[in-house]
Amino acid sequence: MVRHSKLQKQVLSLYRQFLRAGRAKPGFVPRIREEFRANAAIKKTDVMYIEYLCRRAQRQLEQLKDVNTKQLGIFSKTEENS
Amino acid sequence: HCLHFAATKFYNPRSLVKLSKISSHYPVVDHEFDAVVVGAGGAGLRAAFGLSEAGFNTACVTKLFPTRSHTVAAQGGINAALGNMEEDNWRWHFYDTVKGSDWLGDQDAIHYMTEQAPAAVVELENFGMPFSRTEDGKIYQRAFGGQSLKYGKGGQAHRCCCVADRTGHSLLHTLYGRSLRYDTSYFVEYFALDLLMEEGECRGVIALCMEDGSIHRLRAKNTVIATGGYGRTYFSCTSAHTSTGDGNAMVTRAGLPCQDLEFVQFHPTGIYGAGCLITEGCRGEGGILINSEGERFMERYAPNAKDLASRDVVSRAMTIEIREGRYGVGPEKDHVYLQLHHLPPQQLAARLPGISETAMIFAGVDVTKDPIPVLPTVHYNMGGIPTNYKGQVITYKDGVDKVVQGLYACGEAGCASVHGANRLGANSLLDLVVFGRACALTIAENNTPGEKLAPLMANAGEESVANLDKIRFANGSTRTSEIRLNMQKIMQSHAAVFRTGDVLKEGCVKMDALYETLADIKTFDRGIVWNTDLVETLELQNLMLNAVQTIQAAEARKESRGAHAREDFKERVDEYDYSKPLQGQVKRPYDQHWRKHTLSHVDPKTGKVTLNYRPVIDYSLNAEDCAAIPPAIRSY
Repeated sequence: MVRHSKLQKQVLSLYRQFLRAGRAKPGFVPRIREEFRANAAIKKTDVMYIEYLCRRAQRQLEQLKDVNTKQLGIFSKTEENS
Repeated sequence: HCLHFAATKFYNPRSLVKLSKISSHYPVVDHEFDAVVVGAGGAGLRAAFGLSEAGFNTACVTKLFPTRSHTVAAQGGINAALGNMEEDNWRWHFYDTVKGSDWLGDQDAIHYMTEQAPAAVVELENFGMPFSRTEDGKIYQRAFGGQSLKYGKGGQAHRCCCVADRTGHSLLHTLYGRSLRYDTSYFVEYFALDLLMEEGECRGVIALCMEDGSIHRLRAKNTVIATGGYGRTYFSCTSAHTSTGDGNAMVTRAGLPCQDLEFVQFHPTGIYGAGCLITEGCRGEGGILINSEGERFMERYAPNAKDLASRDVVSRAMTIEIREGRYGVGPEKDHVYLQLHHLPPQQLAARLPGISETAMIFAGVDVTKDPIPVLPTVHYNMGGIPTNYKGQVITYKDGVDKVVQGLYACGEAGCASVHGANRLGANSLLDLVVFGRACALTIAENNTPGEKLAPLMANAGEESVANLDKIRFANGSTRTSEIRLNMQKIMQSHAAVFRTGDVLKEGCVKMDALYETLADIKTFDRGIVWNTDLVETLELQNLMLNAVQTIQAAEARKESRGAHAREDFKERVDEYDYSKPLQGQVKRPYDQHWRKHTLSHVDPKTGKVTLNYRPVIDYSLNAEDCAAIPPAIRSY
C-alpha cells in the first residue's frame, strides 16, 4: 500500500494532537473533525496551501492548549417564517 | 424570511439545518481572563503589562501587530517637568495644559497627569528608551508649543523630552520590548467587534480572528479600551488608515455616551498633498512659518509665543493667511511654508533626521535649502470615551458622574479629559503612559487576580455576529470605498478648521443621508479567512458613528473654544465674561453657557444623535498642593 508522505504524517500528527488537546474542553472535537475532513479533499500536490494550513494549525493548537480557552459554541443561522 | 441567530452550547454539525455550500455557521471560542485590553498602542501596551505585572491574567486584543499601531508615527516628544534645561515645576506644566485646553479640561485629571509626568518619563528611561541627551548626559528637552515657565510669565519652557524626532517609534518599541517580559496573552490581528454588556456592566469583548474567521468571546471582569482616534473620518489627515475609532463605536453601540467629539485638532504642519506629519519639534528647534511675502506671520497672531503658540491658534492663523491671499507660491496657492534652512545643518541632522527624510520623500524638498509646503491637517481627537481621572468609564445620570463597572479607557480613545478643547503638543504620549498605568493601577486596587467571573448569557454577542454575517453577504448598490470617500469629503468641507452654522447644518443633513446608504452597502468577498472587505466595512460602520457625532456636536456648540472655531460665534461663552472684571457680573445659568462637556449618544439603526452636557471639573486633586486655575482669556 502507498505509505504516507512526510507531510501527510505531519497532518495526522496534528490531528491527533488537536483531538488530545480538545478532549477536555466542550465543543472542540466535532469542530476539529469537521475542519480536518473538509480539508482532506485538498490535492496532495498542493504543498504550499497544505503547509500554510499546518502553520495556522500550530497557532490554533497553541491557543487550544492555553488554559484560558474554555469551550467552543456556535452561532448558526436558522430560518423562521415571519 | 427573517434571520435568527441562536447559540447552541455544544457544537454539533449534525444537528444543524441543512446549510448551503458557503455555510453561515460561526464557531465561537470562549476564553476567560481577569482583564482584557483592546488595542496595543502606547496606552494599550502600558495597561496590559501593568496588569500582568500586578498578577492579573491579561489578554491584549489588537487588529494590528503592536509595533504597527499609530503610536509609532508620533514624532515630537513627551512633556515632563524634569528641569534639565532650566528650572521647572510640574505646576507650571499644569497651568499650561489647563490654559491649552481652553478651560474645558478636567483639572483633577490634568493635575494627576502633570504630577506623574516626571516619574513616567524616568520609568520609560529605565525601560531603555533612548532619549536624546544633553552634553552632561541628562535627557534633552526641547521647546514645544504652549509650554511656558512661571504660569505663563517666564517665557518659553523647554520640557519636551524627545528621541530625535521619532519619539513615538521609540516609545512603542520600548514598551513592546518591555511587555515581552510579562505573560500577557496577545491576540494579534483580532478585530474587536463589540463589548459584551450585561446589566449595565462590561463583561468582556467579542472579536473576529482575521486569520481564520473564527469568533472569540473574551470574558473578563475588567475591559480596557485603548483603540486610538478616528482621523480617517476626514479626507486629509495625518493618521494611519487603521485609525477608525473602533473603541468609540463599540461604546456607542453599548448605549454609552462619547464626550467632546466635536474637538478635532488640526495640526499646523502636515505636508501639503500627502498629509504626512512634520513635527512641532521643528518649530521648537527654531523653524518658522512664512507666507508668500516671506513674512513670519505668527508674530502678528501670537506676539509672545509666535510659532510656538498652541496648535489651534497656529492652524487658524495659517488658514486666515491662506484665505486672505498671502499664500505660498504654487499652482493651487493654498498652503504656507515651514522654513528650516536658516538652522545649522548639524542641528537638523542630529535633532530632526526623520522629518528631513519625510520632507524629501513626500514633498521633494531638501530642508537645508528650501522651505516645506504645509497645511493644517486633521491630527488628533481630543474627545473620546468619558472617564474619570482613574481611567474608569463614566456616564452622567441625574447630575452625577456614575462609573460603568468593568470598563476603562485610556489613550486617544479616552477623554479624561486632560486635553479639553485643544491638546498641547507632546502631551499625548504622556497621556498614553500615565493613563495606561492609571487603568492598570485602578484595576489592581479594586480587584484580585483569579476572581470568579459573573455569568454571561449563552448567546452574548449575537447581534455582533448577525451584523458580521449581514455585511459579509451584503449585496446592495454602493461600495464601501464610495461611502467612505463621501463621508471623508463631507467632513473635510463641512467640519474643517473654521466652521459656520449653515455649512455645518448642511453637513449634518448630508451625513444623515449618507448614514442611510449604509443599509444598501455592497461587499464582494464572501469568504471568512482574511476578508479585508468585511473588516473595512466594519471599520466604515465605526467611522460613520464617530463622524455623525462629531458633526452634530459641532453644529450644536454655538461658541468658539479651543480647536472648535465658529465663524458665526467667534467668542468663548463661559459662565462669566472673563475679558471684563468679574465684579458686578451675573453668573450665566448652566444651560446658557458652553463651558461644559458634550455627551453624545447615537441610535445605531437610524444614525440619530442625541446630545446632553456634563460640567467641567474645576478642582484639582489637592488644592493646597496645586491650586486650580480659574478661567481667563486665552492668548499667546
